[in-house]
Amino acid sequence: MQKRNFVSYFLIFLALSLIIFGASKIGLLKPLDSLGKGILSPFQALTYGAFAKITDFGSNSQVKALQAQNLKLTKKLVDQNKLIADNKALRDQFQIQNPKSTSLIEADVIGAPVFIPGISVPETLILNRGENDGVKAGQAVIYEANLIGKVAEASAFSSSVILVSNASLSFTAKSLETQSQGVVKGQGGGEMILDNVLLTDSLQKQDTVLTKGDVNAEGSGFPPDLVVGKIVSISKNPSDLFQKADVKSLIDFSKLTKVFVIANY
Amino acid sequence: MKLLVFTLLIIALILEASLTTIPFVFLVLLCLLVLLRENWLFVFAFAFGLVLDLVSFKTLGISSAFFVVFLFLVLLYQSKFEIATNAFIFFSSLLGSFAYLMILGYNNSLILQTILSSIIGLLLFKLVRGLKVKIYG
Repeated sequence: MQKRNFVSYFLIFLALSLIIFGASKIGLLKPLDSLGKGILSPFQALTYGAFAKITDFGSNSQVKALQAQNLKLTKKLVDQNKLIADNKALRDQFQIQNPKSTSLIEADVIGAPVFIPGISVPETLILNRGENDGVKAGQAVIYEANLIGKVAEASAFSSSVILVSNASLSFTAKSLETQSQGVVKGQGGGEMILDNVLLTDSLQKQDTVLTKGDVNAEGSGFPPDLVVGKIVSISKNPSDLFQKADVKSLIDFSKLTKVFVIANY
Repeated sequence: MKLLVFTLLIIALILEASLTTIPFVFLVLLCLLVLLRENWLFVFAFAFGLVLDLVSFKTLGISSAFFVVFLFLVLLYQSKFEIATNAFIFFSSLLGSFAYLMILGYNNSLILQTILSSIIGLLLFKLVRGLKVKIYG
């Protein structure tokens, strides 16, 4: 191979890559980008669906049924507490369901790149719904009232979601049992902590952690009372300003195939 | 030969697009370059980098630029040293995977991912070399 030959190939394709990179950064290629994603997302869905079926094969159906029942019961508990609180405030003329099903957009997971598929916990998900379906960046993504993550980016036909356990995500939360408030911070690898909880507040193992709610004026953000997970351990040191707790989601993110985007709260 | 290259890259793209963060496309490109040393691999590096950015929600062109630069560095190195060796594949895939994963922000288990990537790179090298001998002699 002649050196001059490969240098010219290198320069041409590097220049092309950099031009595309620059144009993409400033948003000039958004229509093309959306079109490309629209064409490729069905193939991505096919691959992800096939792999999900392979990894699901042979899993214990009784354990799966119990996990599903656990999710339903937690959702009921949260709904019930919400109803009790509303009744106390003499607002029982409205039947509250959180979140309202009319504001949900159903989406299939078409990609969840992880280190070792089926074993590692993903940090992001790719969904087959985008701006054309009403999905926007910043919206919350849930599954059976459990918080899954936040839409990071949306193209016309697909979108990417940052999971709650992603290290780049943090939001205000509270304990269902004691109403202690704190900040949930993703730690990566499926781990989360509830930090900045006052030492005087009471936290206990198996407490349910809920979102406190930070919806903005456009209706995007995390609505209140979505289940984040359960407290698995507490770290409380009298010399510290705050106490913190490890939180585990009730959802196995690596096995998700369907989620819901809260379009408007 | 181009059909074999295309097929291997498509398989790598499918794996990387929906299932894993291990940089399969990069590893396949590296192995192919070391074995074939053809200029047209730059075209494949550019095109597959773009498609990979599209499906993984990265800024378009970032993977293409990385692939093109890395292939160029490998070709520069081959003018002075022998590159079709297991040691070269192992260390270049180790270095390349580390840089690529860092650039794309896959910082979770970075060291483990990099080591696994270089082992996969080595296995891919042996597989592609075997395929090349079997199909094309």
